Amino acid sequence: MKFIKNVIKLSVILILVLSFSSITNSSEKNYYKDLITDWSRIFPDKNRNAAGPKFFKYIIDKDITYKDFVEYNKLYCAVSGSLIDPNSEPDFIFVNEKETKKKICGSYYKCCVPCSCDIMKYSEVQQMKYEFKDGVKKFFVFTIKNPCDKIDFPTRVNKNYFCDGKKINKKQVYDLNGRIVIGLLHNGKSCKKDEIDFVKTHNITGRFCEFRNNTPLENLEAGMGDIFIKLAR
Amino acid sequence: MKTKITYHLKKIVVIFFLLTPNSLNADFFEDITSQIFDNPKRLSYGVSVTDVNQDGNFDFVVTGFGYLNLALSHENGKLINIVNQKKFSDEFRRTIGVAACDIDKDGFEEIYFLNTDTYSGTKKYSDRLLDIKDNNYFDLFELEKNKENLNLTAGRSVVCVDRKGDGEYGIYVANYGGPTRFYEIENELIKDKAQKLNLDNITGGRAVVSGHILTERADIFAANERGENFLFKNNNGNFEDVAFDYRLDDAMQNGRGTALSDIYYRGRLDILSGNWLGYHRAWVLENNEFKDIGNKDFDEPSRIRTIISADFDNDGYDEVFMNNIAEPNKLFRIKDGGKFEQINFQVGLEARGYGTGAAVADIDNDGILELLVSHGESKEQPLSLYKAKVNPKNKYLRIKPLNKYGAPARGATVTLTSNLRKHSKTIDAGSGYLCQMEPVAHYGIRENEKNMKIQVRWTNGKTETFSVNELNKTITLKQK
Repeated sequence: MKFIKNVIKLSVILILVLSFSSITNSSEKNYYKDLITDWSRIFPDKNRNAAGPKFFKYIIDKDITYKDFVEYNKLYCAVSGSLIDPNSEPDFIFVNEKETKKKICGSYYKCCVPCSCDIMKYSEVQQMKYEFKDGVKKFFVFTIKNPCDKIDFPTRVNKNYFCDGKKINKKQVYDLNGRIVIGLLHNGKSCKKDEIDFVKTHNITGRFCEFRNNTPLENLEAGMGDIFIKLAR
Repeated sequence: MKTKITYHLKKIVVIFFLLTPNSLNADFFEDITSQIFDNPKRLSYGVSVTDVNQDGNFDFVVTGFGYLNLALSHENGKLINIVNQKKFSDEFRRTIGVAACDIDKDGFEEIYFLNTDTYSGTKKYSDRLLDIKDNNYFDLFELEKNKENLNLTAGRSVVCVDRKGDGEYGIYVANYGGPTRFYEIENELIKDKAQKLNLDNITGGRAVVSGHILTERADIFAANERGENFLFKNNNGNFEDVAFDYRLDDAMQNGRGTALSDIYYRGRLDILSGNWLGYHRAWVLENNEFKDIGNKDFDEPSRIRTIISADFDNDGYDEVFMNNIAEPNKLFRIKDGGKFEQINFQVGLEARGYGTGAAVADIDNDGILELLVSHGESKEQPLSLYKAKVNPKNKYLRIKPLNKYGAPARGATVTLTSNLRKHSKTIDAGSGYLCQMEPVAHYGIRENEKNMKIQVRWTNGKTETFSVNELNKTITLKQK
C-alpha cells in the first residue's frame, strides 16, 4: 500500500517537473558561446594569429571559479589563437618545466595536429598559483619567453597585443616571471616513465612531431606554419 | 491485492491526464493551407504584406525564384493570386527579397523586388521598384533617367527607412559582396545615397530591420554573414555604425533572420537575431550595451531563416516563430521578465520543410494573425498557411498607423500601456529574412487587463497618445 502511494507521489512530481521543464534558466553557462560573443572584444583588430595569450588573459581576468577557468581554457588553441569546437578531444603531451627541465605531462586542446608538436618544442610550463572565486588553485601553464626585442618578430602577429616597447604588455597578456602565458596544460603533473613512452610512441606526438620538428622552418606548411615558432623560439 | 493495484494504477492514469500540460495535447496552429487557391510546388523566398490592389485590405506578396511573383489576396475564404502582369510576376529575374513602402509620398506603397541571379558580387539582372498607374505596373528602374543607378550586385533583404521622419521612404538594400545601396527619390530621380549617408559598406548582407532601436528616428540593424553586423544610429538622417560599441557586432556568427521585439514588455524595441548554425540572440539594451538573454533552448544553433515576433494566439504575450530550412521550426512564448518558454507543436513544425521566408498578417480580418510560410532554395515545395487555435474568450486590438500622406507608417512604434504591461511593437518596415510583415501593431489582450492606452511614436519621433475604448477591432490612426 505504502509502495503504491509512493508511486503516485512520484508520478505527480514527475508530471509537475515535466510541465515546467520547457522554461529554462537563462543563467546556464555556455563557455563556447561566451567566447564567440566576446571574440571581437578579445581581438578588436580581428587578428588572432598566435594570440592564445589574449584568450588566457581574457579568461583569467573574469570573476570565475576554477572549474569555469578550466572549461574556458579547453576552447582555444594556445598556439594558433583559434577557437576549438567544444567537443574536441585533447592530445596527451609532455612539456619541459621551465625551472627544473623535468617533463610535465597533461592534456592540450589544440585546433590542429601540428600545434601539439609546436607547443611541445617551443613552449615550457610553469606552475602558477591564482585566487579564483572559489579559492586559491595551483596549475601548470604554457609560457614562452618575452618576444618583444626580436628583430624577426612575425609580421602577421599584432605586436601591440604582446609588447609595450620591449616589455611584455601586461594589460593585454599575462606575465609570469617575465614570460608570457599562452594557455593552460590541463591536469598537468610530473610524468611517469610509461606516460613519456606513450607520448613518444604515439602517432601524432611521437612520429608526426618528430618529422615536423625536424623540418626546416621555411618548409613548414601545416598549422600556423612559422608564425608561432618565430614568436616563441 | 490485485484489485487494489488496479485501482491505484487507474488513479495514476487519471492524474497524469489531468496534470499533463495542455501543450502536450493541443496543437498551437491549425493548418489552413487549403485556403491557398492554386498552390503548386515552387521555389519561393521572401514574403511581404502590403495592399497590392489598393482596396484597403492587405495582401501577401510572395517572391518566386525562377517562378512567378505572386500577390495573394483574400477573397471568399481563399487566397488568390490577383496580379498577372509581367513586370510584377517576372518569372525570369529570380526574386528573393521584397519590401513595400511609399517612396513617392502618394499614400500608396511601391514594391521593391530584390533579384539575385548569383550568390555574391555582380549580377546580371537589376532589381525592380514597382509603381502602379492606371492599374498597370511599371518599373521605376526601367525609366531612362534612373538607369544609371541600378543595383547590379547580388543581395538578400530590403527594408524601408524613413530616415528624415518626413514620410519620404528610402530603401536599404542589403547586398552581398558589394556595397549596400540606399535608394531615395530626389528631384523625381531614384538616387543611391548609401555613400553620402555612410551606409555603403561591403559585406555579406543578409537580414535588416529598421525602427526606433536607439533614437527617436529610424535606426537600422543589419545582420551580416562573414562580417560584423551593423547598427546604424540615425543622426539627423545620417548614419553612424555603432554595432561594436553596443555589442551587436557578433563578428564570429553568420546572421540570417532578425526582428524587433519588446522582449521585456517595457516599452522599447529590442532585437531578435538568428544566426545560421550559430547561437540565436535575444538582445536587450541594458546600460548602453545589448545583452543576449536568450536561454539555451532559444540559443540552440539551427538552420535558421526567418524570425517573427507576434502574438499569434491573442493571449497578450508575443510568440517567436523560428523558421528553419530542412529542419523543424521552433516556437517560443516570451513571458514576463524575458523568459522564453518553448511551445511544443506539430502543425507548422515542417520537419521536412525547406522554409525560405514567412510573414504574418490578419489577411481575413478576423482578428487572428495568419502565418504564411514560403519554401524553396533546394527543393520545390508549395506555400503553407497557419493560424493559431485561439481561445474564443481572447480579445485583441489592432493599431494601424498611417502617416501624413495616408501610407502605412512603417518604422513607427506603437506602445500599449495597461495595468499589466508596457508593450511596444514596430510597424514593420522589413524583417525576418527577405521579408516584411503587415504594417499593423497586433495585440492580444491579457486576462484581467485594463486601463489601456495607446501611444504612437511616429517616424519623426513625435508621440501621440490615444485612449482605448473598445476592443476586438482595428483602429486606424492618422498622423497629423
